[in-house]
Amino acid sequence: MASSSHRLTVGRPALGPVGTIRETIKSVVQRRRLLLYLTIARVRKDGGNTIIGNFWLILDPALQLVIYYFLVGIVFNRPQPDFPLFLFAAILPWRWFTTALSSATESIRARNKVMRQIAFPQIVLPLSAIAASGTGFLFGLIPLFSLYLVYTDRLTIWVTALPLVAAVQILWTLPFAILFSAISVFVRDIGNFLRHALRLLFYVSPALFSYERIEGILGPNPPAHLLLDLNPMAHILTAYRNILYEGRAADWGVLLIVALASIPFTIFSIYLFRRLAPSFVKVL
Amino acid sequence: MTEKHRAPISLKNVGVCYNMRLSRKRGLRKTIAKGARLDAQGKFWALRGITLEVQEGEILGVVGANGAGKSTLLATLAGILTPDAGSIAVYGSIATLLQLGAGFDDELNAEENILLVGAFLGIPGSVMKKKIPAILEFADIGDFSRSEVRTYSSGMRARLGFAVATAVNPDVLLVDEVLSTGDATFREKARRRILDLMKHARAVVYVTHDLESAKEICNRAIEMEDGKIIADGPARKIITAYERKMRTRGGPHASAASPKRTQSTPLRRRARKG
Repeated sequence: MASSSHRLTVGRPALGPVGTIRETIKSVVQRRRLLLYLTIARVRKDGGNTIIGNFWLILDPALQLVIYYFLVGIVFNRPQPDFPLFLFAAILPWRWFTTALSSATESIRARNKVMRQIAFPQIVLPLSAIAASGTGFLFGLIPLFSLYLVYTDRLTIWVTALPLVAAVQILWTLPFAILFSAISVFVRDIGNFLRHALRLLFYVSPALFSYERIEGILGPNPPAHLLLDLNPMAHILTAYRNILYEGRAADWGVLLIVALASIPFTIFSIYLFRRLAPSFVKVL
Repeated sequence: MTEKHRAPISLKNVGVCYNMRLSRKRGLRKTIAKGARLDAQGKFWALRGITLEVQEGEILGVVGANGAGKSTLLATLAGILTPDAGSIAVYGSIATLLQLGAGFDDELNAEENILLVGAFLGIPGSVMKKKIPAILEFADIGDFSRSEVRTYSSGMRARLGFAVATAVNPDVLLVDEVLSTGDATFREKARRRILDLMKHARAVVYVTHDLESAKEICNRAIEMEDGKIIADGPARKIITAYERKMRTRGGPHASAASPKRTQSTPLRRRARKG
């Protein structure tokens, strides 16, 4: 005991922006177990109190597919060939994006009790929200791949590029999740606002329709078209659809640009989070 | 200075302030309804100008009325709150006994929660895994160790919380009124465990309203009022003076000297919380 090195545990001098970000990443790596346990707890909570439990992880996205199939395919009568696969290739990742953001937004407030008792890198909370909703995404792949039993000719080698596209999606989920989780401590209304913002983003993303159709609608209107171009999810969803539905390579150049563009946002969000973090306990 | 001679805890002119514009909590609003420490910018200084050094081997008792800043001081020492003024340095591993079982997740069972809280505390998983049997035995929750924590009684929850929080010997121990957990048997066991941790720690800060036990355990004490330290010295002297002052003032500790009252106060508070 007495021989253990007595390093400084509280009261480290403030670091500059670069130091702050490096230290944050280091602290997350150190607490990777915490990230794991928080993720397990969250996944279990989602299925915890229902009769069929975690089977909802599979059933939820499947039911959502049925609803959108009914809405777009039958009511609007705008089906594409092999429409269920067309829809699912985009809806499933979109679901991940929205659940990650909405649960990340609540993540800090939900753990306010422990934040008052233990000092730990709070940034693991929004990260675990992304990881937990990622689990939902993985389970959603079960109904997705079941569709290939029907549309056998749609299954190509490009499906193996799925982790790559998913990685780009994570890169873009990170900054928003971190940012919203921190801001919602101070402005609780952000959760309400986010629901509608995501809804709008959903309709200007090629989720229910193809990129070309959205472009056709928004094309004559330059500001709206700009919105589509700047929407990273539009490019990510299109990439998913390329590899899962059309069975061809995604536009890797565009995807690379989208991936690189996320980096400044992520750095900014981490820095802002760290600047706001000392006030969390006081405000909660 | 060498590692050995460095005080485990030192604070220089530390201030912690709450910005009332940001906080919407009613509890806090009520506290500041007194308005005493609210300055022109809407800031509330929960701690102000705290300069304090806790030396190796010291067990520091902190006394003062409710809202004097005792718990804020502990949270600052634990690194939960960052000072808005002054500087702080705490060396070595820290254990906090503030709110028991706060890190628990309702959906996890006892073992998983032990690992979760260990991860919150930054204790390596391998160390924590080895501690599981001892923790479960100390908490005495029997067959419930495999069920989710949400099914626990408040007593079981508190016992498990205590057992986890005290599983690892810290260099710096911060205690906030937790000697009154559970039934009489467990209280005695918990008391012995805390005394043992205190013996092994390099420095202890002990916040309590149980003045008799503070006189016994501590070798130094400070009295706080309105976020400031107003007295500092040997535990017996400071606490006796505090008791006398409260009696004449007729404040919340008016009868704190009577052992009966001292015992029942934390107990009742616990019961209400549970």
